[in-house]
Amino acid sequence: MGDTPQSPPLRFGDDPYVWACWLYYQDRLTQSQIAEAMGVSRATVNAYLSEARDRGIVNISLEPARLASLTVADEIRRHFGLESCLVVPSEETHPLIDRLGRAGALALQSLLKSGDTLGVVWGRTIMAVAEHLKSPPLQDMTVVQATGSTQATFAYTPDLCTTAFAEALSAKSIKISAPAIVGSPELARAMMGEPLIADELAALAKVNRIIFGISSLRPNSTIHASGFFEQVSLQHYLARGAAGVLAGRFIDQNGAPVDGPLHARTIGIPLDVLTGIKTRIAVAGGFDKVPALLAMLRGGYANILITDAATGRGILNAEGVAPARPQAKTPARTPVIVRTQIKKFLNRPDDAVDEMLEGAINANRRYLKPVAGSNRALVARHGPRPGKVGLVIGGGSGHEPCFLGYVGRGLADAVAIGNIFSSPPPDPIAACAQAASGDAGVLFAYGNYSGDVMNFEMAAEQVEERGIKVRTVLTTDDIASSPIEDRDGRRGVAGNVLIFKVAGAACDLGLPLEACEAVTRKANARTYTIGVGLEPCSLPQIRRPTFELGPDDMEVGIGIHGEPGVARESLKAADAIVDTAIDAIFKEMDARPNERVAVLVNSFGATPMMELYILYRRVEQRLSARGIVVEANWIGPYCTSLDMVGASITIMHLDNELSRLLSRPCDTAAFKVL
Amino acid sequence: MTTSVVEHLIAMFGKISTAIDDAVDELSELDGAIGDADHGITMVLGFHAVTAALQSARSDLSSASAVMNAAATAFLNAVGASTGPLYATGLRRAAQSLDGVEKLDQSAATAMLTAIPAGIRERGKAQRGDKTMLDAWLPASEAAALALANGADRKTFWKQVVAAAEHGAEATRSMVAAKGRAARVGGRSLGHMDPGAASTVIIIKAMAEALSGDDA
Repeated sequence: MGDTPQSPPLRFGDDPYVWACWLYYQDRLTQSQIAEAMGVSRATVNAYLSEARDRGIVNISLEPARLASLTVADEIRRHFGLESCLVVPSEETHPLIDRLGRAGALALQSLLKSGDTLGVVWGRTIMAVAEHLKSPPLQDMTVVQATGSTQATFAYTPDLCTTAFAEALSAKSIKISAPAIVGSPELARAMMGEPLIADELAALAKVNRIIFGISSLRPNSTIHASGFFEQVSLQHYLARGAAGVLAGRFIDQNGAPVDGPLHARTIGIPLDVLTGIKTRIAVAGGFDKVPALLAMLRGGYANILITDAATGRGILNAEGVAPARPQAKTPARTPVIVRTQIKKFLNRPDDAVDEMLEGAINANRRYLKPVAGSNRALVARHGPRPGKVGLVIGGGSGHEPCFLGYVGRGLADAVAIGNIFSSPPPDPIAACAQAASGDAGVLFAYGNYSGDVMNFEMAAEQVEERGIKVRTVLTTDDIASSPIEDRDGRRGVAGNVLIFKVAGAACDLGLPLEACEAVTRKANARTYTIGVGLEPCSLPQIRRPTFELGPDDMEVGIGIHGEPGVARESLKAADAIVDTAIDAIFKEMDARPNERVAVLVNSFGATPMMELYILYRRVEQRLSARGIVVEANWIGPYCTSLDMVGASITIMHLDNELSRLLSRPCDTAAFKVL
Repeated sequence: MTTSVVEHLIAMFGKISTAIDDAVDELSELDGAIGDADHGITMVLGFHAVTAALQSARSDLSSASAVMNAAATAFLNAVGASTGPLYATGLRRAAQSLDGVEKLDQSAATAMLTAIPAGIRERGKAQRGDKTMLDAWLPASEAAALALANGADRKTFWKQVVAAAEHGAEATRSMVAAKGRAARVGGRSLGHMDPGAASTVIIIKAMAEALSGDDA
């Protein structure tokens, strides 16, 4: 056989596959040229290349965001039998409405033909389409307003939308000179019988293409601001299962029209006329709209959909269709051994919390003791004293040493402990407040979770009835959990520890309740945390992972309750992970050169110190590159999530006051400042 | 007879507890998809505490309201979390609505099925469509009111209530969570039934089983 390969150049070792791939993909030779260079037949080269793909030596990849939007679009088109579906990649750089508008305009430009009559249903997204529409060289175009009008003054009324499309297309425009909703069915009938209005409505019969959005019935929907629907009628429709509003008409989750008081009072295109139009283009996006979009798609109202990748994926998930995973073919992997039960040191799983508390209380008896015989409420031995504000912290168990490790002189005065990842009920919290009170008021500080808020609030009511003044600071340091506009909605994670420390020092200094509260709020406002999970945790009673995480995946923006994070990304190198976190923190933290910070690199339970130091190394590199001084650091398991593999990075932006309070001596089981 | 109402409600909580026991894994799995996987455990814990408290206080429980209040306190103290205050407030509202009730007929059941979600809504400030237990409770209470108005017999009444709860829970799949921890996962909650709504269906089914007999 003449097929014995020449020996490959040194840099390829003895691997003809890599050599062939290099020549083909890198040097761009043809297969015949490669055959000549390697001294093998063309068929062999072809086999090398194909085998190289199968073995994963070569990965052909499209940019993942674009690939994902293609697969999602294809799956939606197939599943709902659409003519076409355009999905814009999900990216954060431009507002969604803007991106949808751009895509909608592109789609419309390619669909419209001279002589078309385009129906326009008003909406914010539809207005965005008009704004991006470039006049195509078309003639004899007509634009028809598909619903009645409104007197309201927002920027995307039916009238303004119609005008915008007509101008962009140099089209004749036909408006409806009647309100979208009138006072009574009789009035509606009478108005539609008026010759002028009847002519305008008759123009709707000539519409051969229509563009519309869809409104959800969620509280943030623009229909509430539109003034079209009174709250009372909306409740009527909600109770009848309305999932969305299309051209002023309510539809249920399967797209069937929902009857109600507004139906006969609405002037505009009826749904059965709409579905008779040849090209029906829907443009909409956003998670809130998923139920409404599903209703619209199931009802067959659109045959062309323009949305974004995240919403598209949401639609498919909600419909129970998994979009094909956007990944190039990867070589077969040795199967991961699936562990059915995670090993743990337990007696009876149901006793885990009580036995842990027994051990922890005994081990730390020099710092704390139970209040009134309950191990779920613990008070510091050398904490509460007359005239001092009492600091009460608390939360679920499973975060050890949080929260009981932070009870003692100079830090928290009492801690209420709940079940695993569950807020304590009001009674132990109230007992803590009573025990911590030195008649100068009590400060509650805890993470912002709905359960904790409800229980602590109920406890505060009880305690205040007994004449103890209570102030509350919710910690909200997790910057991944909500955007900056919703800072109050963020949850509290490991940054808790530093915020509690500041609060404890303020109380210990003898500051009045209002001052303690104020400085704790400041500490919270200047504390920023991001967590990354590499493996899920498992609960003692279940001993299976709380969620699934692929071998190459990590969860970014993970909390401390074993719940999935905000986004799933491909695992990266430690420095790259730190960079992602620090970049996000720098976006919010306005720290100038020579300003000081405190850093907490926290393990979620199973990540060892070795890796925490690797993370810390990069954190300090990034801070010092900006001239920021690390005044204090804590590295270790400070706020865990059972046995989760992962870590969080917290930065507190110090000022003189915070710095003084953070460095004030304290002595607790898990946090000491000498 | 007052004792009969008390006995029926105690039996109802017993049935709820058993039904939740049977569903613990399923509930925890649902929760794992969008929350912290402990919903099943929490509910088991809460209803075990309720049945234990009702058994031990049996001789002191002289009215329907007393049973519901005892259940509320036991549930709250065992559970905490968010489920504790929510169900405790709902059950306390139910206690008020059952004041003086001697027979758990369709009218009393409607009062109870209306009071529970009213309490839950008051405490948690959630709305319909937020992907919470209310998305099963509210349709159930509306179905109850409708069935009562239509003069449905006991069996039909409960059948319609259960169907409405099931339908409501099913509809949470296409909702995005707006309350509680699941709200943090954003669009990733799509496609998953809300675990709180799923356990509501189990509770309502057990109620139906306990109360659709003619002697309740």
